[in-house]
Amino acid sequence: MSTRAQRLALALFCAGALLPGSGVYAAGTAGKPAIHHVVIEGLKNEPETLTVKRGDTVIWTNKDPFPHTVTAPGKFDSHDIPAGGSWKYVARVAGDYPYICTLHSNMKGMLRVE
Amino acid sequence: MKNIGIVLASALFLAAGSVAAQAPNDAQIAHIVVTANQVDIDAGKLAEKMGSTKAVRDFGKQMVTDHSGVNKQAVALVTKLKVTPEDNPTSQALKSGGEENVKNLKTLKGKAFDKAYIDHEVAYHQQVLDAVDKTLLPSAKNEELKALITKVRPAFVAHLEHAKMLQSKM
Repeated sequence: MSTRAQRLALALFCAGALLPGSGVYAAGTAGKPAIHHVVIEGLKNEPETLTVKRGDTVIWTNKDPFPHTVTAPGKFDSHDIPAGGSWKYVARVAGDYPYICTLHSNMKGMLRVE
Repeated sequence: MKNIGIVLASALFLAAGSVAAQAPNDAQIAHIVVTANQVDIDAGKLAEKMGSTKAVRDFGKQMVTDHSGVNKQAVALVTKLKVTPEDNPTSQALKSGGEENVKNLKTLKGKAFDKAYIDHEVAYHQQVLDAVDKTLLPSAKNEELKALITKVRPAFVAHLEHAKMLQSKM
């Protein structure tokens, strides 16, 4: 039993080592699109800069008590995300997307799609 | 119009001065936070209806939404902490200054209304930020109350910048 368990552990370890990026949360490198989260709180996007792979999904969740927007002019626009609400965006095209909140000019963020 | 601004600034300054001499307790700070928000909600409601441009009406609407959101959270916090907000000279000065402002705004129309409202918003947000930095944050004892004020402070900065931007176009 213990030998089998050891073999299984070894097999899993090797499989993990062979898969680039495996074990890295939401890396999206194993071919399957990943889901990333950005938390908006205290008028800050956390993380402020997020790098994702094409096809990945990004979910912004607004933890402030009033609405915010996630707006990359001409590229994407969440419109008002209410307090406690969230907005989902599927990143399909590679590039750097600096974004703002149209309601609060002191908020900013960056989405990098590789 | 200018007089109103000066009266408001003086009221807040005097209030802040008297408070600085005797630091407010958490129950008073909670009352100041709720009153400061309510004063701006009342002016915003008027601007939503009376603003002569979409930019001014939208700004008024946003003030109502944002400050109502802050108050909802402030009320939830004091309820959780079992604190009863306590009236105090700063709250009273804010309230009477707000009433004076609304009374003045109701006599105005069109561009004159826009200018008076926005000028007041610039002065008001600046004064509230000063009160937050010089009195409320240094005096607050409860960590959650302090955290709430810290968390919403950047919104007041954004409102101030937004109001200044509108002011510069008048």
